[in-house]
Amino acid sequence: MLVPIFTLKLNHKINPRMVAIGKYDGIHPCLTAATQAGKVFIHNPHTRGQRPAAQRLSQSTQDSDISLLNINQAVSCLTAGTLGPNTTGHTLLVGSQTNLLAYDVHDNTDIFYKEVTDGANAIVLGKLGDIQSPLAIIGGNCALQGFDFEGNDQFWTVTGDNVRSLVLCDFTADGKNELLVGSEDFDIRVFREDELVTEMAENETVTSLCHMHGSRFGYALANGTVGVYDRTARYWRIKSKNHAMSIHAFDLNADGVVELITGWSNGKIDARSDRTGEVIFKDNFSSSVAGVVEGDYRMDGQIQLICTSVEGEVRGYLPASKEMKGNLMDASVEQDLIRELSQRKQNLMLELRNYEENAKALPGVSEGESKMGVIPANTQLQTALSVRRATESQRAHIELNISTPNETIIRAVLIFAEGIFEGESHVVHPSAQNLSGCVRVPIIPPKDIPVDLHIKAFVGGKTSTQFHVFEITRQLPRFSMYDLNVDPSAIQPTGKVTFSINDRPQRVVMWLNQNFLLAEGIDSPDIIFTALRGGGLLKINMQPSGEITLRTDDIDLAGDLVQSLASFLAIEDLQAEADFPVYFKELRATLIEVDEFHSVHQKLTAAMADHSNYIRNMLVQAEDARLMGDWRNMKKRYIELYDLNRDLINEYKIRSNNHNALLARLKSVNQAIQRAGRLRVGKPKTQVIAACRDAIKNNNINALFKIMKAGTASS
Amino acid sequence: MELNLSHVDYLQVGVTSQKTMKLLPNVGRKATQKVAVADHDGVVTCFGMKKGEAVPVFKSLPGQKISRLELGGALGTPQEKIFVSSGSEVRGYTKKGKQFLTFEANLTESINAMHVSGADLFVCASYIYNHYCDCKDQDYYLSGDKISDILCLPVETVGRTVPILACQDRVLRVLQGSDLQYDVEVPGPPTVLELLNRDGGKGGEEVLYGTADGKLGLVQITKSGPITGWELDNEKKKGGVLCIDTFDIVGDGVKDILVGRDDGTVEVYGLDSSNEPTLRFENVLSESITSIQGGCVGKEMYDEVLATTYTGWVSGLTTEPQQMVAGPGDEIKMSRETQGKVAALRAELEQLQVKVLQGREKYQQSSQSSTAVSSVPVFSINDKFTLCQDDASYSLTLEVQTAIDNLLLQSDVPIDLLDVEKNSAVVSFSECDSESNGNFLLATYRCQANTTRLELKVRSIEGQYGTLQAYVTPRLQPKTCQVRQYQIKPLSLHQRTHAIDQERPMNTLRLTGQFSFAEIHCWVVFCLPEVPEKTPAGDGITFYFQNTFLGTQLEATYCKGEANFKSDNISTISILKDVLSKEATKRKINLNTFYEVNEDSVSHTLRMIHPKLEYQLILAKKVQLIDALKELQVHEGNADFLIPEYRSILDESAQLLEEYKKQPAHLERLYGMITDLFIDKFKFKGQNVKTKVSQLLAILNNYELDSLMEFFSEA
Repeated sequence: MLVPIFTLKLNHKINPRMVAIGKYDGIHPCLTAATQAGKVFIHNPHTRGQRPAAQRLSQSTQDSDISLLNINQAVSCLTAGTLGPNTTGHTLLVGSQTNLLAYDVHDNTDIFYKEVTDGANAIVLGKLGDIQSPLAIIGGNCALQGFDFEGNDQFWTVTGDNVRSLVLCDFTADGKNELLVGSEDFDIRVFREDELVTEMAENETVTSLCHMHGSRFGYALANGTVGVYDRTARYWRIKSKNHAMSIHAFDLNADGVVELITGWSNGKIDARSDRTGEVIFKDNFSSSVAGVVEGDYRMDGQIQLICTSVEGEVRGYLPASKEMKGNLMDASVEQDLIRELSQRKQNLMLELRNYEENAKALPGVSEGESKMGVIPANTQLQTALSVRRATESQRAHIELNISTPNETIIRAVLIFAEGIFEGESHVVHPSAQNLSGCVRVPIIPPKDIPVDLHIKAFVGGKTSTQFHVFEITRQLPRFSMYDLNVDPSAIQPTGKVTFSINDRPQRVVMWLNQNFLLAEGIDSPDIIFTALRGGGLLKINMQPSGEITLRTDDIDLAGDLVQSLASFLAIEDLQAEADFPVYFKELRATLIEVDEFHSVHQKLTAAMADHSNYIRNMLVQAEDARLMGDWRNMKKRYIELYDLNRDLINEYKIRSNNHNALLARLKSVNQAIQRAGRLRVGKPKTQVIAACRDAIKNNNINALFKIMKAGTASS
Repeated sequence: MELNLSHVDYLQVGVTSQKTMKLLPNVGRKATQKVAVADHDGVVTCFGMKKGEAVPVFKSLPGQKISRLELGGALGTPQEKIFVSSGSEVRGYTKKGKQFLTFEANLTESINAMHVSGADLFVCASYIYNHYCDCKDQDYYLSGDKISDILCLPVETVGRTVPILACQDRVLRVLQGSDLQYDVEVPGPPTVLELLNRDGGKGGEEVLYGTADGKLGLVQITKSGPITGWELDNEKKKGGVLCIDTFDIVGDGVKDILVGRDDGTVEVYGLDSSNEPTLRFENVLSESITSIQGGCVGKEMYDEVLATTYTGWVSGLTTEPQQMVAGPGDEIKMSRETQGKVAALRAELEQLQVKVLQGREKYQQSSQSSTAVSSVPVFSINDKFTLCQDDASYSLTLEVQTAIDNLLLQSDVPIDLLDVEKNSAVVSFSECDSESNGNFLLATYRCQANTTRLELKVRSIEGQYGTLQAYVTPRLQPKTCQVRQYQIKPLSLHQRTHAIDQERPMNTLRLTGQFSFAEIHCWVVFCLPEVPEKTPAGDGITFYFQNTFLGTQLEATYCKGEANFKSDNISTISILKDVLSKEATKRKINLNTFYEVNEDSVSHTLRMIHPKLEYQLILAKKVQLIDALKELQVHEGNADFLIPEYRSILDESAQLLEEYKKQPAHLERLYGMITDLFIDKFKFKGQNVKTKVSQLLAILNNYELDSLMEFFSEA
């Protein structure tokens, strides 16, 4: 059994996922973590009592090993590492919703302090692609930004939704790092600098990413899933009812291959083999795990795995020694093996008994047997998927029809599927009087994603207490919420995207048949759908020349279609012309609002400065009055102060509302750029995003729209 | 803990009932003992361990499920004859496996408890007790509630036959011949009885009992009456006690008490100098422990605790140290015995696999035929649905012989599903269509591999009644699922008690009408938990109940044509009135209802709730402050500037948080009950006060006992 080699109680709370280790003087590793009240603490047990307190840094009075760093803002992420070219020690980087601070702990100086309007939800430090200097890359609301040691903005791009996790790793095995981004739209995206290499769809917010080795990386989702990918292929994943707070790669059993270490919200730590996901070690904290890092904390040349809990407990583990032979758990291998084999034997015997007893059963159901749920052996479950339009009582949905061919009934249907239900499953359990051999399940997928429906149906008699379980898997195609029936009076879509391909129309027809839910196949690539989710029409048209036009008012849908078609036809670069008048109009309004909110923001800041001056004066007057014993005046002044204070609070509320509104607008601008990009593939996509960014920087709104339409900056 | 025991698995048999494993007395000194174990397949297996391998002495043929296994023999000789009860039959085997006795007890029900002493045989079916001497009928007794275990004081020491029945209604019934001598009240429904030190202690009169809610106690059954020894509460909320044994496992000359529980806990209690039990050792196996014995099985000289689990594992917790044999290579060297064992198992598995494949093929073929049926034998589920006194919630445990794949919970009443720490299954709540299909809860549990036991907690609301259904699907081919139903009764939070405080102000409800004793009893069973289903003997009966959440009480006295219910809680009376009149209407019986409302009872109940409410409010307030105070502490560096009250909150923060976590939604439940009380009080006056509920909630938000009382009396 592996036991921690050291345990510390730090007496400071630790914010989840905000833990790092930095060698700020180049030698001594210090555990650094964000704590309550906008503070960051640095635990340095190595150089006791040698540091003078100054500026931001103050010695904690509770514990002499701990220094506190005042950020005065809620910290949202932090990391430490080498940023500058000529610094001896590591630089500490602290991100908040509005700023990024690079700080030299050793010298007690700010290196830079940057305003970041998109916030910093996640941060990573390191080299990206061909960029020379190491970058501090932050992920905010739909945007990624990289700063070098001077605080220069060296890298910028947009991504689909708010960024929640970042990691650098050599994904393409070209010797250069790519940036992996996990975001709230359930996608993991891979960027080679600002070019999107690939994306992998998951089914929940991606909360953590970590590099394992080579092109392999671990990930964690908000629904309690952790797993490992090798490039775009998922190796394994497991799901727990708890949430993974932090993941880290560390070779705990000293076999030369790192394991995925996961810290869970219930305080559990486990280490899993990177190949199989098998647990090789586990331990428990009394409270949720805050972060898992590694470092040579005892300064003896051995790297330890360091786990921290939110209550400030820290444990360090050394990799297992040779004597443990990879067996880190307190169990005997022999016993487990025998137990497992016996269990398997037991299972097989039970299955065999099932067949034997079944063979004995004769046709003709008696009273006692009806409880057992005897069904005809040739019972087969039929399933059918069909698109249903909205009626008065029911929203538009996809109907899954499950039926039995004989007099047996379906007691309940369980559908396990990812990403389309609130939980991971949906249950249909008809009441006793509604039991029949046919169950209709309405399914409304919230997004256009392909889904595997794992259906379990309990089939038996009306009075049975035991049922046969039928397990069937059906696939829901990606664009299933689109109906071929078109209302002739429907308004024609004004938005469109046009591009040319060098492929036969049959290939496009094939793509249509595979990705849409069509009762009978179609044979022409010219087709009109009604979008059940949004309402409007979707027209797809292909000229003999290979020019395809997609007409819809939903720019997201157009983007999804382009991406799906491009990946189906294996197109690497695709240029397109687009026009979405309705959406562009909205965007124009948003851009104007952004300007307005900016100016309001400035006004409010000025007003606040006025008020604080006023307060200072008032306080002096009030205190003067108190010293003079002029009670009447003092009272009056304090009442005024009280009023002022109230005003300030109100103003603060306005300011924060204004700020939130501004953030929302900025996010939608970022999203617009991302959407414009998604209408193209490969190089043209990168170009559009870069050009849009330039247009916004130069505040050239007209150019922005031109780029979005034409796909290029020139002309 | 000074005791160190290591876990060894010996053998797996079929599913076992409570108390179906015994150790045969050893022949010479220091030799290992043989084990006799009986299972649900009706097989009695007797085996001994030789060089780490289980060597069978004999194995009987399969038959009906065996409910008990006891040892017997002529008085004064070694007790080495094996008796088993199966159905209504008792069989006897010699230690060599020769069947020497088959005795048909001629009971209409199957035997569920048995005791053997010399030529005397004592058997119990659910309510019936029978005593046979040399297979001739002697005495007979009909118990008022279900009998779960039977025991006799040792005739050799006491000099007379004293049978003791453990009955569901929380009493031990001590018999004399065919008559009841006296009742012994115990704190919970007793499940198991054993003699202390296997011989009843010094006077032969000391009896250990265990209860379904996990309590443990010692009582001395003297000629004149019971003398209560110690009682151990179940503070850690472990499972119910299923088996007890006394054996000196520590080796200090004092016999220790071994306890097996239904949550898999094995405990060893030592008796200290004042004869009070203290916990010496605890180990948790993953399945319920059905039998426990102390002795020497695996290796000479090493004593051990032998336990059988529900799925039929016979395992030892031995004092023999199990060190790993570390060889020179990197692989762990297995001992030769284990290697042999593994090889044999693997060979067996391969054979089985072939057979299973054949079976599977045949089964598949049968699905082509139109006449064949598929009927899979019913698998056994060990389930328990009990009310926990401490937090007034129900705990549901389900245990299956093989791993559970998934569980579907469905309820037609609103209930809350609570999270259980031990439960690792991933829960997912599905949308409910309460209108069309009457579902208020649809939840699926997807279990992790190798989960054979699941524990859930549900919270009910008094007055809302219906059925909770659990569909269990094990990982076994062909896949089947079984449904289990649990009644949520109208007064679901009530529990039987021995007596009530008659001094309290009581409200009464009197019913008269043309109903029989059986009918009114049936209605009471419908309303209240823990009432025997069988109509009690005699003309009338009185039951006492206590509300586990509020501590209010209920007395139910009824006979043919008349029923009286008395309670200090007006809501209880109101619920009873509604449910009973509904039930009577269903059967078209005309009921005359009289009720007498005692005005004092309302204020009395409010006063009873007051301390609970106040405690919860203060707790909530304190918990709210903790974070803010901690922040201040960090900010100021210490907590010396705070007033003592706040400082104490900081000091106790850990306990406070734990307390708070333990009672989720406690405050809301109390509010709900006060609101019910308010509505019910005026309902009896014929007033509808639902409009005033918002006022009541406003008063509760600024709670003060006096203002609340005033509101109740004024409104």
